[in-house]
Amino acid sequence: MKKKGYLLLGLIMAVGLTACGNNKSGSETNSPVKEGNESQQASPSDKGGKDADPIVVRFNINNDEISTEQIKQFEDDNPGIKIQREDTDATKLAAQLATGEAPDIIRISGVNDTPSYVIRGIAMDLTPFIQKSSIIREDDLGPATNVFRFDGKVQGQGPIYGIPKDWSPDYTVWYNKKLFEAAGVPIPDASQPMTWKELFELSKKLTITEGDTIKQFGLGILGKSEADLPWLMTYLLSKGVTLSSSDFSSIDYDKPEVKEGLGLWVDAVKANVGPNQINQDKAAWGGEIFLTDRAAMMLSGYWFSGLLRNDEHTKTHLDDFGMLPAPIAEGGKRVSPTGSATGAIINKATKHPEETWKVYEWYFGGKLAEERAKGGWGVPAMKHLVEMLPQTTEFDKQAFKVLQGELNYSNDVLEVNPYLLNGDALLKKHLTPVYFGKSMLDEAMKQLNKDASTLLKEGMSAAQK
Amino acid sequence: MQHRSKLTRWKERGSLRFPFFLLMKGVDLIRTERSRRTLAFYLMVSPWVVVFAFFGLYPLFYGLYLSFTNFIGFNIDRLRLVGLQNYKNVFSDTDAIYSLGRTIYIAIVYVPIGTAVGLLLALLLNRSIRGMGIYRTIFYLPSIVPLVSVGLMFRFLYADKDGIINTILKFFHLPALNWLGYDYATLSLVIMLVWGAGGGILINLAGLKGISRDYYEASSIDGASSFQKFFRITLPLMTPVIFFNLIMGFIGALQMYIQPILLTGTRLLDPPIRPNYFYAVHAFQQVFAFQRFAYGMALLWIMFVVILLLTILIFTTSRYWVHYETDQEG
Repeated sequence: MKKKGYLLLGLIMAVGLTACGNNKSGSETNSPVKEGNESQQASPSDKGGKDADPIVVRFNINNDEISTEQIKQFEDDNPGIKIQREDTDATKLAAQLATGEAPDIIRISGVNDTPSYVIRGIAMDLTPFIQKSSIIREDDLGPATNVFRFDGKVQGQGPIYGIPKDWSPDYTVWYNKKLFEAAGVPIPDASQPMTWKELFELSKKLTITEGDTIKQFGLGILGKSEADLPWLMTYLLSKGVTLSSSDFSSIDYDKPEVKEGLGLWVDAVKANVGPNQINQDKAAWGGEIFLTDRAAMMLSGYWFSGLLRNDEHTKTHLDDFGMLPAPIAEGGKRVSPTGSATGAIINKATKHPEETWKVYEWYFGGKLAEERAKGGWGVPAMKHLVEMLPQTTEFDKQAFKVLQGELNYSNDVLEVNPYLLNGDALLKKHLTPVYFGKSMLDEAMKQLNKDASTLLKEGMSAAQK
Repeated sequence: MQHRSKLTRWKERGSLRFPFFLLMKGVDLIRTERSRRTLAFYLMVSPWVVVFAFFGLYPLFYGLYLSFTNFIGFNIDRLRLVGLQNYKNVFSDTDAIYSLGRTIYIAIVYVPIGTAVGLLLALLLNRSIRGMGIYRTIFYLPSIVPLVSVGLMFRFLYADKDGIINTILKFFHLPALNWLGYDYATLSLVIMLVWGAGGGILINLAGLKGISRDYYEASSIDGASSFQKFFRITLPLMTPVIFFNLIMGFIGALQMYIQPILLTGTRLLDPPIRPNYFYAVHAFQQVFAFQRFAYGMALLWIMFVVILLLTILIFTTSRYWVHYETDQEG
């Protein structure tokens, strides 16, 4: 009887599976549109009865970076293509990449992600498309596009894998005149960069406390006011120090310059110059406190001027704000690199490269790029658009003048080891005990070396063909 | 034997005939009443079996297979078997060992407290007083509030020096504490978890209702005090329920992942502060932050073994302290 039972179970499962299979093929046949990840046979270039079906290009980008009106306009102008916008979600993207289900266009940080996406074989070489394009011309691309170049060994050289949406020299400093006055501290000279040490000392002077309560913070940054990896690499770029070996097989954080730079942050965190894990301020990022007159300075790129112009609280008194050059390391050379250069790559696995490029070209070049430039939300990727940045008000003029100076020092690319994914998280994990006085920088850097070494070893082993 | 040889013969004659053979056997089977019942049983369980096989068993064993490879998210087309290397790495990974220690610690601290609070609340809510339904609703309410809301709520309660709890402390001239800092983060988490301990009320109440009134009446006649009634009647007869709660509590605590992240982070990939860096968080971090899929799988299979061993341990000890009425009668 048992045997018969198993047999029956097998039969039932077989029938069930057959039914599932039929259902699936049925739904595919009836599908109104073809997905970007469908088989090659679904390409519009195919000759057959499905030519009328639009191609869906999956575009991984945030809701506030593209409007439904813009998408509709594109679809009206290009009836054969539909754009499916997908929110950026690091966890989801990791799973999609692992299962081959990633979108056709993937939003990335040019600085931090390009080499890793190239090495993993995910990024498509866009150079041939750019060479044919009349909208995006190679000779018109600004220095930030270089962060999307990678020849397998050096970032900044080789084929172009992406274009920034817009970018900024990210370590410039914004100030609030009124809060400087409240602290009785003069505003630094905008024609000369401070050193990082001077900036942190200034932040401490600008931090005002009453008893246990912090009334005014000195410095806000893009996250909690704590060190991050792009900042460390900027500091080291100024110092002329690199961490990875030329073949990326090893990395050494246990260097005096690393401890010197991070030591500045450890002091700053302990002095509560901004929201951090020790003071547990509710602000999720520095913008929250700067825009509400709770922080005297904000470490952020030119794009922050767009936020100041549009924020309800700040747009009414823009003359209270100004921009300062990016600080440099003590005894270091002047640099003002981009720390991110948010843009996108095209997924090499896309089944519709031509249509995907069409969407890409439309978004990163042409009218949309002009609109972004006029809004002042960042430096345009294309040089001819730079003059379109706002230059009307005194605030605009001051920021534009400082920016012009910074662009002379923005050609260097931050060092990134492509096999060390999420090195920023690793650094922050090891620094937290140091902020709380539970560990020393020396110990943290040794642990960081150990963890990074394991990740590099695994990454390099997996990348071997 | 004859049947087996017939089956073999059918197989040998060709693959096309084999499904037909199965179909004929199926038709054969439904001829009797018992067979019809069997068929009905399998038909009814088949959706679950199919779904479980494909969405439960298959991923589970595929994960086990991946744990022996060098999969890091992008090399699925050129996976290499690395033997037990990922498992060996777990034991040399100081974060894995640290997080496992913290996880066992929180389980040992929280689960007995949570179980005791749940039982205590059930005892209080088992009385016959006016408005008991309202009290039961109030105490059960925390267990139906979504975890994300609970996390956010406690974050605001604990937040900085002007948070609600610190404001109350300052009102009583007590020093403000950094609740989400290094020294108090685990205590804060335990408080948040115990706040939701009312989830065990329902099962505890059901257990209490199942205890015959006769025992209490008989003990009253013998002059037993309330404490004696609790320790001699209620507690022993509630041990099967306590046992169940302990097992479920330990499994849940060892798998704890989202609660510590909600307390301090803003995104799923934000690691919680070090003392609340638990094992499941570490595994999630390895998989999604560092894309060490194979290593993450090895971490989770080790967690599975740890949970299994602890469960066996609790089961083994249960014979010394869990009292089943049926056993006693038997």
